[in-house]
Amino acid sequence: MTDNDKPLLAAVELHKTYGPTPALDGATMRVRAGEVLAVMGPSGSGKSTLLHCLAGIVRPDRGQVFYRDRELSAMSDAERSALRRGEFGFVFQFGQLVPELTCLENVALPLRLDGVRRREAERRATEWLERLEVTDVASKRPGEISGGQGQRVAVARALVTSPRVVFADEPTGALDSLNGERVMRLLTAAARETGAAVVLVTHEARVAAYSDREVVVRDGRTRETELVAP
Amino acid sequence: MRRPTPGRWGRDLALGMRLVVSGGRESLLRGAMAAVGVGLGVALLLVAASISTMLHDRTARGAARDDMHLGVEAPAPGPRTMLVGQFDTSYRTAPVRGRILRPEGADAPVPPGLPRLPGPGEVYVSPALERLLASPDGALLRPRLLDARIVGTIGATGLAGPNEYAFYLGSDRLSEADAQRTDHFGEPVTGEGLDPILLLLVTVIFLVLLLPIAVFIGTAVRFGGERRDRRLAALRLVGADRSTTARIAAGEALLGALLGLAAGALFFLAGRQLVERFTLWNISFFTHDVRPSPGLALLIALAVPVASVAVALLALRRVVVEPLGVVRRAAGARRRLWWRLLLPLAGAALLLPLVGSVRKEGSSVNPTQVTAGVLLLLVGVTALLPWLVETGVRRLRGGPVSWQLATRRLQLDSAASARMVNGVAVAVAGGIALQMLFSGVSGNYVSTTGQDPNRADLFVETRLDPADGVTGDQVAERLRGTEGVREVFALVRGTLQPAGAKPDADGNRPTSELLVADCATLRELAELDRCADGDAFAVFHPVDQTPRPRPGQPVQIGDPEGTAFQSWTVPPGLRRVPPRTAPDGNIYTGFYATPGALRLAQPPGLRVVAYLRLGGDQETAVEHVRNTVAAVNPVSQVWRLQATSMGNRFANIRRGLLIGVLATLLLLGASLLVTTLEQLRERRRLLAVLVAFGTRRSTMTWSVLWQTAVPVLLGLVLAIVTGSALGAVLLRLVETPIRLNWTGIATMSGAAAGVVLGVTAFSLPVLWRLMRPDGLRTE
Repeated sequence: MTDNDKPLLAAVELHKTYGPTPALDGATMRVRAGEVLAVMGPSGSGKSTLLHCLAGIVRPDRGQVFYRDRELSAMSDAERSALRRGEFGFVFQFGQLVPELTCLENVALPLRLDGVRRREAERRATEWLERLEVTDVASKRPGEISGGQGQRVAVARALVTSPRVVFADEPTGALDSLNGERVMRLLTAAARETGAAVVLVTHEARVAAYSDREVVVRDGRTRETELVAP
Repeated sequence: MRRPTPGRWGRDLALGMRLVVSGGRESLLRGAMAAVGVGLGVALLLVAASISTMLHDRTARGAARDDMHLGVEAPAPGPRTMLVGQFDTSYRTAPVRGRILRPEGADAPVPPGLPRLPGPGEVYVSPALERLLASPDGALLRPRLLDARIVGTIGATGLAGPNEYAFYLGSDRLSEADAQRTDHFGEPVTGEGLDPILLLLVTVIFLVLLLPIAVFIGTAVRFGGERRDRRLAALRLVGADRSTTARIAAGEALLGALLGLAAGALFFLAGRQLVERFTLWNISFFTHDVRPSPGLALLIALAVPVASVAVALLALRRVVVEPLGVVRRAAGARRRLWWRLLLPLAGAALLLPLVGSVRKEGSSVNPTQVTAGVLLLLVGVTALLPWLVETGVRRLRGGPVSWQLATRRLQLDSAASARMVNGVAVAVAGGIALQMLFSGVSGNYVSTTGQDPNRADLFVETRLDPADGVTGDQVAERLRGTEGVREVFALVRGTLQPAGAKPDADGNRPTSELLVADCATLRELAELDRCADGDAFAVFHPVDQTPRPRPGQPVQIGDPEGTAFQSWTVPPGLRRVPPRTAPDGNIYTGFYATPGALRLAQPPGLRVVAYLRLGGDQETAVEHVRNTVAAVNPVSQVWRLQATSMGNRFANIRRGLLIGVLATLLLLGASLLVTTLEQLRERRRLLAVLVAFGTRRSTMTWSVLWQTAVPVLLGLVLAIVTGSALGAVLLRLVETPIRLNWTGIATMSGAAAGVVLGVTAFSLPVLWRLMRPDGLRTE
């Protein structure tokens, strides 16, 4: 296996149940550095649970998740939190911006959580707002901006720490197609520019088209497909 | 726009109520929380509405058993009379009401609560006393009842409260000198009113305690407000206009209030079953005493639902419910200060004309004006606080992430925070004002007794019982032999008259006090430069020139009632010395004689006074002394000497205030906790997202603490200012110099800060549970 083939993130035989409902039933997949990977599947298939396990948010009942050869399940909660602060970024369906903070403060938040001083954090946040073309909403609160703008702010927040992996859970699910396209174009472009891998959970083929590769989840099991043209 | 008809109002209110019922488990849960919250407040209001009935019933029972017919000539002995001796005593810190009954005829009256009169050696005891006597705790009290046989218990009609210690002891040797004759029990209830200062205190206490409860109820009807806002947005989507949604929201609050009324009634009924288990400051109440006055109960039943609807409508003023969601207009129009200032100013305007008008005696207080003034000042706190919080947090910037999250949250919705701490602020403001007033007027109610506890711990006075022929010397010996008694100064009191003295125009003979005791005891009562057995002294103030028996003059010695029983000649070597204040604070002038100078016959009827010093466990020693004295003569007095004494009512009101404020703060703490938990639950998903970013638990913990602490701090500042201002006005009302009571401020603020810390501590487990990543599952 060459270094290029070596996965940045890998899930091996993951099992996870919520009460009597199995969410993952032996899911296995790999994420390479810098690639955009779409995790597809119908509603309730276990896509989001797989993403949460990969990001170290949820511990699988069985199976292992490796990030750069370190097993996430073996890490303490504090270590996984530190990993999420420094190496991972997140975009959720409804942005999930902190409503009381301004957009600038929202983007600066992960940096500040990582100990960066406020002025420096806001300088870097401003740069990312510019790259995502939302500088005009910097001083506004999330309740005062549109859904598309909010999602772009959320993308800026995910990328501001220069993460190695961005986890995006249905990032365009709440947007119209035009805004969705714009968010995806900016997300993937910025990720490719910074070299971040993107794990993109979606059930829309149109969104998956931005990925290099697809993993299909059905009934908690995964099936990897061939690389598609970028 | 047309005004909605009453029918429309009714339909919309009903729809609002139905939405709560049909809103699923969570909706029902929130409705139940609101009902419990309102219910707690209603229950407290019902208790407050019962206080007058409780006090009246207690007073009425006390009057019905009254045997002290003051100002009435005692009846002549007959078949319908009896002698009643007061055998009141104390056990530990609890008073014990005791009566010795000696019927003089077959038709002697029976005290209320007794089926018949106890025979000699029989005793009826209260149920609480029966329990105490049967328990190991009552071991030291048993001897005091003189081995009487318990033949039954006193019924409720004969007791002030269920936990009162009381007994009626039958006797066939009670002497008239130790008793009073009566032919009936009971006196009309005379409502001895409170003096104006106490009335002012009680009025303010009620307002201070009840207003936070009203604020609490206002908060409770808004439990689940955010979920309700989303429901309202959905209603707007299907075509409801703004006023309709407001009425529907009011309907939801109304259901909470109605359920709260029912819950409050249940809490009240359940709680009053427990009332007999509690005794506060030796006062207890029967369950049937605790019933609200009908007028006040009706007022509560009407005011709570009406107020809940009004609160719901007011709360929606700053909320815009649009079809696609709810927007809080925090960034909209700023709160205006002018009308908020009008309330406390109006309150001050009502109170200031009363300055100097309230005196302990010879004045009256207008309760309506005082109530309105204090109410407006305290309501002013609730009006000013939202403005203060909004203004105070607006400029907060910088700081760590936890601080930033907290301050931004406060900036976004300061009203919710202000609502949270309004009750605390009112309670603290009122508490500070009352502490100032109490400190200021305490001088009126705390008096110096003149007693010197450094010289003696106990004062004992008893009359030698003719029935058993015990002498004063024997009483002193018994006291010396009592467990825990270290030292006894005992003296025998009698009277002294010149032999053959003629009565004056009123029939009185010139009489002087005669005290017979050893030198050590006499030194406690007079300034003796030297003293030996055989000495006698004339103890009078130097300026007192009243004619008295001279040395060598024959005199008659009598008992304190003046009945002569022994002749004596005033010794030639009598020395004149000035008196000294006795340990009990009295000054005894007269003739002092040592036993060597006067061998007193000590017939029955003489009084023996003793000052005792105790050692070791004083509380237990006091009980032993009481038993010793009761065996000599049950109708005796045993006092603990103390330098100061506080008026009973004043002390009770002060204690009541402290308990009340504490209970109110606990209730408000519960309200704060519920509101905090509710806000955390509403932010469950956001918390999970923050966890996904790797937010530390400590960051969120501090954030929650700041979020509560900042408004509480601002509320406390306002409370201290308003409370001190109210306290100053109240002090001026009673013409007392204004002095800030820093202890009171520190106590009240500390208690409030403790409540905040407690709320934060109790909410942390929920916060940490909500910070688990499971919250993302619904994403």
